[in-house]
Amino acid sequence: MADLTTKYLGLTLSNPIIVASSGLTDSVEKIIELEKNGAGAVVLKSLFEEQILREADYKMKKARQNGMMYADYSETFDYIDLHVKEKELNHYLDLISNAKKSVNIPVIASVNCVTSQEWTTFARDIEKAGADALELNIFIMPFSLEKDCHDIDKMYYDILEKVKKEVNIPIAVKVSQYFSNLGFVIKTLADKGADGVVLFNRFSSPDIDIENIKVTHASIYSTPEEMHNSLRWIGILGKRVSCDLAASNGVHDGEAVIKQILAGASAVQVASAIYKNGPEYILEMKKTIDKWMDKKGFLYIDQFKGKLSQEKSENPDIFERIQFMKYFSEIK
Amino acid sequence: MNKIVEKEFFSENVAKIVIEAPEIAVSRKPGHFVIIRIDEKGERIPLTIASSDNEKGTITLVVQKVGVTSAKLLALEEGDFIHDVVGPLGKATHIEKVGTVLCAGGGVGVAPLLPIVEGFKKAGNKVITVLAARSKDLVILEEQMREFSDEVIIMTDDGSYGKKGLVTHGMEEVINREKVNLSVVIGPAIMMKFASLTTKKYNIKTYASLNTIMVDGTGMCGACRITVGGKTKFVCVDGPEFDAHEVDFDLMLSRLGAYREQEMEAYENYLKTVQ
Amino acid sequence: MEKVAEYLKTERAQEWRAELRKSLKAKERTSRERVEMLERDPNIRNKNIEEVNLGLTEDMALLEAQRCLDCPNPTCISGCPVGINIPKFIKKIDAHDFLGAAVVLKETNALPAVCGRVCPQEKQCENNCFYTISLKKPAVAIGHLERFAADFERNSGSIAIPEVAESNGIKVAVIGSGPAGLSAAGDLRKLGYDVTVFEALHEIGGVLKYGIPEFRLPNEIVDVEINVMREMGVKFRTNFIVGKTAGIEDLKAQGFEAFFIGSGAGLPRFMNIPGENFNGIFSSNEYLTRVNLMNAANPEYDTPVLSGKNVAVIGGGNTAMDSVRTAKRLGAERAMIIYRRSEEEMPARLEEVKHAKEEGIEFMTLHNPVEYFADEKGRVNKVRIQKMELGEPDASGRRRPYPIPDSEFEIEVDTVVVSVGVSPNPIIPSSIPELKMTDWGTIVVDKDTMQSSIPELFAGGDIVRGGATVILAMGDGRKAAAGMHKYLQEKVKK
Repeated sequence: MADLTTKYLGLTLSNPIIVASSGLTDSVEKIIELEKNGAGAVVLKSLFEEQILREADYKMKKARQNGMMYADYSETFDYIDLHVKEKELNHYLDLISNAKKSVNIPVIASVNCVTSQEWTTFARDIEKAGADALELNIFIMPFSLEKDCHDIDKMYYDILEKVKKEVNIPIAVKVSQYFSNLGFVIKTLADKGADGVVLFNRFSSPDIDIENIKVTHASIYSTPEEMHNSLRWIGILGKRVSCDLAASNGVHDGEAVIKQILAGASAVQVASAIYKNGPEYILEMKKTIDKWMDKKGFLYIDQFKGKLSQEKSENPDIFERIQFMKYFSEIK
Repeated sequence: MNKIVEKEFFSENVAKIVIEAPEIAVSRKPGHFVIIRIDEKGERIPLTIASSDNEKGTITLVVQKVGVTSAKLLALEEGDFIHDVVGPLGKATHIEKVGTVLCAGGGVGVAPLLPIVEGFKKAGNKVITVLAARSKDLVILEEQMREFSDEVIIMTDDGSYGKKGLVTHGMEEVINREKVNLSVVIGPAIMMKFASLTTKKYNIKTYASLNTIMVDGTGMCGACRITVGGKTKFVCVDGPEFDAHEVDFDLMLSRLGAYREQEMEAYENYLKTVQ
Repeated sequence: MEKVAEYLKTERAQEWRAELRKSLKAKERTSRERVEMLERDPNIRNKNIEEVNLGLTEDMALLEAQRCLDCPNPTCISGCPVGINIPKFIKKIDAHDFLGAAVVLKETNALPAVCGRVCPQEKQCENNCFYTISLKKPAVAIGHLERFAADFERNSGSIAIPEVAESNGIKVAVIGSGPAGLSAAGDLRKLGYDVTVFEALHEIGGVLKYGIPEFRLPNEIVDVEINVMREMGVKFRTNFIVGKTAGIEDLKAQGFEAFFIGSGAGLPRFMNIPGENFNGIFSSNEYLTRVNLMNAANPEYDTPVLSGKNVAVIGGGNTAMDSVRTAKRLGAERAMIIYRRSEEEMPARLEEVKHAKEEGIEFMTLHNPVEYFADEKGRVNKVRIQKMELGEPDASGRRRPYPIPDSEFEIEVDTVVVSVGVSPNPIIPSSIPELKMTDWGTIVVDKDTMQSSIPELFAGGDIVRGGATVILAMGDGRKAAAGMHKYLQEKVKK
């Protein structure tokens, strides 16, 4: 029997499989079920700023339609977004403290930040409620035609620095892949105190319905192919940054977990695979890893973690180009 | 207008006052409190109900002289009237059978502790009660506590009665020798803070009955707010009992001192007038 | 609707009204300036709690009443939440029958002395006046005239005690003695019911006493109305919390057959920003209750209040205005309003904003607090504020405020009053699990009878509407009384 224990963000996990921030982790019952099925840790469903504003707008609209509610000149409805936020945040803090009371695995809170203001102070409350760590899901797509990439990069650093000042629990930053200088950004995040970086955030992909001629979206589940980008970057950065790296997107089986760890990941985050196959699937994935480790003679994760990470001495540019040429020249 | 039907001094500054309040007596459960206003110019203050008598239609309060209002209250005699009494307020104590319950009362906190001790005993628990006071004459309700406790340990700061030491010493003695499933602590805020830190060391679930400044007592003003587990709660409607390990006692102590200067000045003026 | 229009037409056709219309040319009426209420000097009144408005003189009232054109289609009435026959009462004033005007008012509005002072007329009747809509001129001063008539009646010593029908022996309970409860109690008593009003506090009047300051609504005015009810035979029990002292079931066992719940929206809301629990930071409920109900500013009374040199009040409604003007009167050197939107979006009555500015209140609009700091003793001493800018309108139709990045700065404060709204009092709803409630914590009722999901329970006022207005509460109380009467009469028949 191999020992799957791993360390991530300074926390000790019984195994590297973390259930990602999703609808799988939004209630205590679900989290208990995941622990039962062997999850190493959970990241709670993320709290969205926009969600709160939408909820507040919805409440206001309903109130105005309701014949009895005094909405238009109401002092209370003037600040309805605050009151909704209070309710949602309290609900989230309850989720954290109740989850902590019910399971032994690490419970990581997640907030989806667009502005740094509100969430820095909320980070304190999250710590007080007992979260073991905080994942900052910095959801800034470079859509703006006005912002320079440096401005966007700076937003990431600002948010991280502000939150770091507020709490003592470890902080992970979940980033998107859309950086012109991803390596530099991740290294800077690590230097600025991020205890971990999660590669990558997943945005919904657009699709088009040609029958009805309208924009729709592609499947919400990830595909195994999506794994390769994080695999590349974890391979490149594994030995070059001081923080932990976690792989997200496209980890759909035990083999994928092994690959990411070989590349240098401390842990992986899964969601789609569990959605499709149920929480019991975690046990299957663990079994796969276990069997492989036994076969290859590894007793501990650390024995093969990062085995295939690029050496600091290797030059990734040249390495990539050679690999590319090799691959394509073979396809002739 | 509620009549005082009985008054008995336990010591120079602590008295038991029994008042007519038939409706409150009927609805009251252990843990509840009332808000009183002595006269038309008086302030509204909370006082825990120590006991009640359905047949006689009375409730019993135990009051310690700490300022103007409590002093005025203690100066009233049997037959006098308190202008306003409203209750029962707060949530009743959650009583259940858990095994061994360690109850700790400090000073006049012993009075509201008595019905809780009785409740836990009657629910089938083993109840060990630690009573703490500065000195012998401030120890109250010992006999009544013995009636409902399997064991009573008395701690006095100066050693003039029972053992010399603080309530936490008494508590630790018990915790170190047998398993305690639950603890309830009532007394001055600072006492509850340290009692709670003691049980936290041993991971014993603990309830504290908080006393804060109040104005209306029905959740309308927020004067009594404290922080529990990082969230704001109102002692008058969410409490008065809370999970002691989650209470921010430092904030509570700070808020208790909000009017300290005014209170001291008013008390000095009052003492001058009675002399 | 038809019946009302018919009724108004008939009333208008009466000779005395026609005479008045003929007595002055329309052009003469409309060329007059709107009367200006006499007010105390701002720099004197901001140091005491005397009522700011001094009222109209008889001459002023007559001249203003003559401005009213007695329109064939009185649009003002449609702006009134309870449909007062506005032209009729104004024309009574015009006809020099001031007591008659008060009688007309009381046909629909139980407490005209209160409404004349606190109604947001600029959003209601006066907003719909012919002058406002068609002439684009200042409306007839309907509110001032209402106050005039009611005050005249009170000061004349001949307040009519409404006639009470023969007692029918049926016990009804009114829970809460604010405007909704008082209206319901008055009407139910007139119908001959045995009415008991249960009030949680030690004073009758609810928000009229603890919420609205003396300088806007003197408590003695409320007491006069309460005494009228006592004379009618309404019973009052203070220090009685239904749901705690006794429950609805207990009261049923005591013989009460129907209940009106008017327990209000008393739960204070906070912003939940860091430091909000430091000493010196109050909800507006606490601050106003200490001063208005417990007379904290008067050294003869025991209840203290923390008064500061630099007081910040967060919010833009009437409660915020009341709080900041109270702070000024308690001696604040700087009394500031911090409101995150602009002045146009403030929900407060225009008159309150005007009075506040005159009294020296600083308006920091487009500002929002983000954090409070305290000294070693735990007393607030600074607040960090961010500047806001307005973006697209949100669902309320008002433009949504956004923080301007990197705009934060700090100011000294030693007292803060948070006035960002209230929620319905949960005591009664939580004691009756089967009672159908809304998402906002309000009781669901039928809009015509005010009956809840439980047949013998009726409700009105803020417990049904969220924090709203006095006039709406009173309208609800009256509707509920009619609804309860119908319900009880049918019950008796069975």
